[in-house]
Amino acid sequence: MSDTVVTAPEFPAESAPPRPRNRKRDQWIAFWLVPIFFNLFGVVFVPLSWMMPPRPPNNPTPAIVEFMQSHNLLIACAVLTVCFGLASVGNAVYLIQIKRMSVSPVFRYSVMMGAMTGTIVGMLFPMFCFGLGAFRSGYEPSTLSMLYDFGYLAFIGSLGCFCVMWMSFGLAIILDKNNVLPKWLGYYTVWQYVTELMAAPVWISKSGPFAWNGLMTFWFAMVLYVSWQIIVYVCIYRAIKNQPDDTLETAWLHAEVAPSDPRPKADA
Amino acid sequence: MTERTKDGELPDDGGKVATATLERGPGPVSMTNRGQRIMLWTAPPAGALFIIGFFLFPLFSPPLSPTLSPEQVAAIFSENVTGILGVVILCNLIAASLVPLFAVIAVQISRTATSSSVFTYAYIICVGVGTTAFILADYCWGVAAFRPDRDPQLISLLNDMAWFFFIAPVGTIAVQNFCLALSIYLDERPDPIFPRWVAHFNVAAALLLIPSAFSILYKTGPLAWDGAVSFTLRNAVLVIWAVVMFFVLLGVVNRQGDERESLA
Repeated sequence: MSDTVVTAPEFPAESAPPRPRNRKRDQWIAFWLVPIFFNLFGVVFVPLSWMMPPRPPNNPTPAIVEFMQSHNLLIACAVLTVCFGLASVGNAVYLIQIKRMSVSPVFRYSVMMGAMTGTIVGMLFPMFCFGLGAFRSGYEPSTLSMLYDFGYLAFIGSLGCFCVMWMSFGLAIILDKNNVLPKWLGYYTVWQYVTELMAAPVWISKSGPFAWNGLMTFWFAMVLYVSWQIIVYVCIYRAIKNQPDDTLETAWLHAEVAPSDPRPKADA
Repeated sequence: MTERTKDGELPDDGGKVATATLERGPGPVSMTNRGQRIMLWTAPPAGALFIIGFFLFPLFSPPLSPTLSPEQVAAIFSENVTGILGVVILCNLIAASLVPLFAVIAVQISRTATSSSVFTYAYIICVGVGTTAFILADYCWGVAAFRPDRDPQLISLLNDMAWFFFIAPVGTIAVQNFCLALSIYLDERPDPIFPRWVAHFNVAAALLLIPSAFSILYKTGPLAWDGAVSFTLRNAVLVIWAVVMFFVLLGVVNRQGDERESLA
């Protein structure tokens, strides 16, 4: 519990007495669950099930049937079913930073709604499409092919929920006057919206660079996404670390004079 | 876990909290407590309807075995169209009716003194996702019963998918319970919002629910979707959890008095 970062020395808050204990434990627990989740995600998708990198859309039917009926795919689905709730924690980590910004709640509510729909259409549903094929061996190849298409298209081709998340998150960073996160990250995040548009042709192409396993829609988008995601979490790490104690939501417990309204003011 | 406040500081902080509470609670906002109580009392009728639906559902008595062939599943659907569609329609209407209970929990999580709203947000997102999973299960059964003369393969696929969505996605409920438990463990208030056993209770409930996520790996035995762990234990835990939390929340909301909750 006490292995998280000690933040007090960097920002001695005038109003609060020095505290030996880490007062941001809730934030650190949530924050460190994110790399755990992404690592699990990676292990399940790549070495366990070889669901990623994606199988080609124009795979011959016998290859699709063999893949869809592999037992490891089912194990992968079970593991994801256990831990997909952690995706919500990962999104909540963005949300608490948006809450600290001098922007309207509309931004964090938009991110929240995008996160809910995104978890369902981008994770739970495609995951069960893959799981169903492996669960019962008797399905016809045509049924398995449909599940295969539905699974990959929903996994790789679900765009809108993430677009609204990146847009709201990016705009909130740009409009924020509290400098919770660096401004360049806001522009970077809005640009990330554009990379989602790049994945749109997976619904049309069955081979080539714009298919769901293509150079542009998968590999290039993945490189951009992963690097963006890591940078965001590094920035959030610094934001949590640098948050002054007197802006914590527990500040009223420790302050000499309780603030009349502890809620942050919104001007954007 | 550890105590939040050092013993020596307790009276001091306690005094400050009292001051803070007084200053934070101007007159008109005492309605928040009443609103929460109204929302909370929608849970018992909702729960009763869920239980009625559960016992009326032809596929639950006994729960449909995962080992049935597509033809057998299709036959069961065509023999029970009325019963299945009746419960599907009922559950379509009441699918989200326990959301107020979860919303009151989210409000109370946001009142616990932790440094951020991270668990409140994670809780709310999980409720949205979990409720949708239940609705998808309902729709899959409904679509299968809507045209029971469909290709048995497709009926069986819809039925499998419904059971997946109904039994397996416990990941969100588990995270919800862990969020609540962590908020209670980390609550810095000298007079905590929730009694501490509620945290232990939620962790225990989460641990008992998690095995049913593995129901998709088995067709027989306790972990299969009709098994003792994935079906009986899971549903019993959910019912007990809801009943216990209802009474816990009654107490918590009443003790809140006029204290205003902050905007999450």
